[in-house]
Amino acid sequence: MKKYQLGEFEEIVLLTVGVLYDQAYGVAIKADIESRLERKVSVGALQSALRRMETKGFVESKSGEATAKRGGKPKRFFYMTSFGRAALEYNRQVRAELWNAMPDMTIEMKFS
Amino acid sequence: MIKKIADRILKSYCHPDYYPDIQGDLDELYFDRKNNSTVAQFRHLFEVIKLFRPALIRPFYKNSLYNSTGMFKNYFKISFRNLIKQKAFSIINIIGLAVGLSAFLMINQYVMFEKSYDRFFSDSDRLYRLTTDQVLDGAIGTRDAMSFAPSGPALVDRVPEVINSTLTYQFNELVLRVEDRSVKETKAIAADSNYFDLFDYKILAGGDPNQMLKEPFSIVLTESRAKAYFGDQDPVGQAIKILSGFNQSFKVTGVMQDVPEQTHYKFDVLVSISSFQEDVDEDGWNSFNYYTYLKLAPNTDIDELRGKFPRMFELSGEEESDSNLEFNLQKVEDIHLYSDFTYEPEAHGSANTVLFLNIISILILIIAWVNYINLSTAKAIDRAREVGVRKAIGANKMQLIIQFLFESFMLNLLAVVLAIVMAQLSYSYFNHLVGKEVIENIWLNQLFLVKIFAFAFIGAIVSGLYPAFVLSSFRTVVVLKGRFRNSAKGILLRKGLVVVQFSVSLVLLAATFVVNRQVNFMQSVDKGIDMDFVVGMSRPGYSSGNREAMRIKFEQFKQRLLDHHAVENVGFTNSLPGGDLSDISSTTGEVQIIGKTDLMEGTTYMQWCDDGYFDAVGIRMIAGRNFDAEMVSDSAAIIVNESFLKRLGVNDYESVLNEKIQFGENDDGHKYRLIGIMKDYNRTSLKNRVEPTSTFYNTYANRVVVRLTPSSYQEGLAHLEETYKSYFPNTPLEYDFLDERFNNLFQEDQQFGNVIATFSLLAVIVASLGLFGLSAFMAINRAKEVGIRKVLGATIPQILSIFYREFIILIALSSLIGIPLVYYTMDGWLNNYAYRVDFPWIFVGASLLVVGASAFITVGYQTIRVAVKNPSETLRCE
Repeated sequence: MKKYQLGEFEEIVLLTVGVLYDQAYGVAIKADIESRLERKVSVGALQSALRRMETKGFVESKSGEATAKRGGKPKRFFYMTSFGRAALEYNRQVRAELWNAMPDMTIEMKFS
Repeated sequence: MIKKIADRILKSYCHPDYYPDIQGDLDELYFDRKNNSTVAQFRHLFEVIKLFRPALIRPFYKNSLYNSTGMFKNYFKISFRNLIKQKAFSIINIIGLAVGLSAFLMINQYVMFEKSYDRFFSDSDRLYRLTTDQVLDGAIGTRDAMSFAPSGPALVDRVPEVINSTLTYQFNELVLRVEDRSVKETKAIAADSNYFDLFDYKILAGGDPNQMLKEPFSIVLTESRAKAYFGDQDPVGQAIKILSGFNQSFKVTGVMQDVPEQTHYKFDVLVSISSFQEDVDEDGWNSFNYYTYLKLAPNTDIDELRGKFPRMFELSGEEESDSNLEFNLQKVEDIHLYSDFTYEPEAHGSANTVLFLNIISILILIIAWVNYINLSTAKAIDRAREVGVRKAIGANKMQLIIQFLFESFMLNLLAVVLAIVMAQLSYSYFNHLVGKEVIENIWLNQLFLVKIFAFAFIGAIVSGLYPAFVLSSFRTVVVLKGRFRNSAKGILLRKGLVVVQFSVSLVLLAATFVVNRQVNFMQSVDKGIDMDFVVGMSRPGYSSGNREAMRIKFEQFKQRLLDHHAVENVGFTNSLPGGDLSDISSTTGEVQIIGKTDLMEGTTYMQWCDDGYFDAVGIRMIAGRNFDAEMVSDSAAIIVNESFLKRLGVNDYESVLNEKIQFGENDDGHKYRLIGIMKDYNRTSLKNRVEPTSTFYNTYANRVVVRLTPSSYQEGLAHLEETYKSYFPNTPLEYDFLDERFNNLFQEDQQFGNVIATFSLLAVIVASLGLFGLSAFMAINRAKEVGIRKVLGATIPQILSIFYREFIILIALSSLIGIPLVYYTMDGWLNNYAYRVDFPWIFVGASLLVVGASAFITVGYQTIRVAVKNPSETLRCE
């Protein structure tokens, strides 16, 4: 049974939200992913992932302060919910189980 | 710039909840890039485009302003199903509304066009025409559109509110010679150098407009004339020779825009009035042949100004007792529709016609709206159950009203589409009907399109509101129990509206007949002259230098024409029959028959002709004799018409023959011996009485009438053309038959007749469509009653008579309303004509018959459809 639906990109975003803890808003998340993973992230992809996860309940958000640099628009900070954390852990656990279940042969084949 | 566009795009599609922070993020990123280069802006735009994702865009239904979109969808569906289900009802309504809307708006365009005359000058609201009233014993007599030449400048000096004036003169025609071509200009005027200050036409070439008409022998051309004369050459500085009157070369000093249709004073060429300054000076305060326009200071109170306006004798230096003429001011914007003075520069429009058309158009629209009200309340019974169910499941009254209004909107919208198509297909016919290029292209006419939607909107509310209230006020329990009947009040209203429709149809039909009758009367009535196969034309005038030579030439020309067997008579005159009101000279001075009558004031019209004129147009003498070329004394002879003598109170015509007639109170002025009395004849439109006219002997008059032999008139025409060309090679020949000239005079009335005939027909068609639908519903509603009657032994004629009884009452009621209305309006219209038909009651009867017959046929058809049904069918289900 599919308990948590969490895509690959979503997972990265969710993890980053966790890493940044209370400083996780659009630009910061984007910068963090870009520096750690060395991959380009478009605002569109990031934002839609965040909103999707918000409707799924993995993150929650609240409005922050507005700055002149942002054209007077407020930042929106995202926080990981415990449900989101459970989803991440479930993902990790599933992977770990899969790793463990993998017979050595596969590894050998890979080396041969 | 690009960033701004990008931001706007984002705002337009982004989900409103997410927008602020996403926009904030984007701004921050953009700001971090720290330059405003185009590259950065494009990157920004690219980000915005990539943001267009399902998760982030604005939802379509949720979050919109209405949360009852679902309900509207349902209304739409139900309305649509109803339209489809009741095809006859929908088609009748849509066609009716479309006809109503397009007719209404096309007439509206015409009305606006007529009302837009002379409003395009920047100061048009301050422009006034100075006109001259003849005041006899304190009462205003003849009102003349012209004025004395010196009055304009004198008024500017004397009255501070009058800040500028211009003096203009309208030529009958000018014959121009451009390079080696001769052209005849029928719309030519002269004006002084102030002209363009008052009438600020756009000047296309020639520099300072205030200088262009300063020098004598200057000429200003309209754009199209300049093109016609000089093609692609620069017209300014070119020479044009004016043959008629001047025989002088003029210099083109400017080119102006073409004079639009919407002005009462149209012209194609404009010459400086200083070119004939001596004539103007000579006319002075003696004769008024000029149009003077005044410009008033801003914010002048016109009534106050009229109150303190100088009397004419104060300026002209006459004794007060000598003068019977007074100034009058006339707003230029009002001239086209409201002025009916003598010597107008062109045939004017009529405010009454415009009003009349306006009323017809509103009536057509109302008829169409009434159809909707009638039909939708009549078929309320079909919708009653739906209303009951809706109410039972919780719809409130407001929602139901909105629903039915929505339906009315849909119907009107469909009608708009059809109306636009109709208007597009028929506008050229409409233009033809009113005789003016009023509508050019519906698709490009934004105002028309805006209006059509606006009126559809108004119509939807006006005609939709009552049915919406009726339908929404059904009581749930009554309706659902199936004991529902149309309310007595509703039936009464419907009958009232039908009466309105009948009356309107009746009035319009009768009006059509009356107008038609009058126009036919004017064309066929004996005008006192015999015009069949009589040709009228003008020939060149003479100048003082070649007077005698030209006289001989004219005489030879006449003899040469008469030599041909197909030419019966040739006459010279200065005023062709069938011309405008202003095609004749007049004097406002006093007149008397010496020893027989007292001096009497009043306008006397004057014409000049030779001895051939009376025979050529068949004017009958009732006493005395014609002019005689052999008698030298006839140069001081005069022939008058009956009206002239009637005004002087002379009844015994023989007794005044050979007496002397004196013009003016000065007894050593000219006196003329009365040698003949001619029968009255209509010189111009039958709107006007035959004018008191005196005719003088003159062989120089520059109009020619030629009577041709009917059997060989074509040979005569050929001979005429050939002879003319050999005698006057420089002036183009233009002739027309006199009866055609008269028919042109009636064209306006005929047009009016055609317009109201067309629109009356439309109104009647729309009304009968409505009646058709209504009687169908009524017949079906009473199907059971009919069935029972048949079972009990009623015959079809008996059933018909029951249905007819109601309609007879309605028709009787509408004739009670309609007949007085038609008598009142149309008798008033007929009174515009000095020679009119008696009020044609028989045609009112005929219109009543037409309305009655159409009602009987439609009602009868619907009733019989129900009545022939087998009662077992109609009574089967209960």
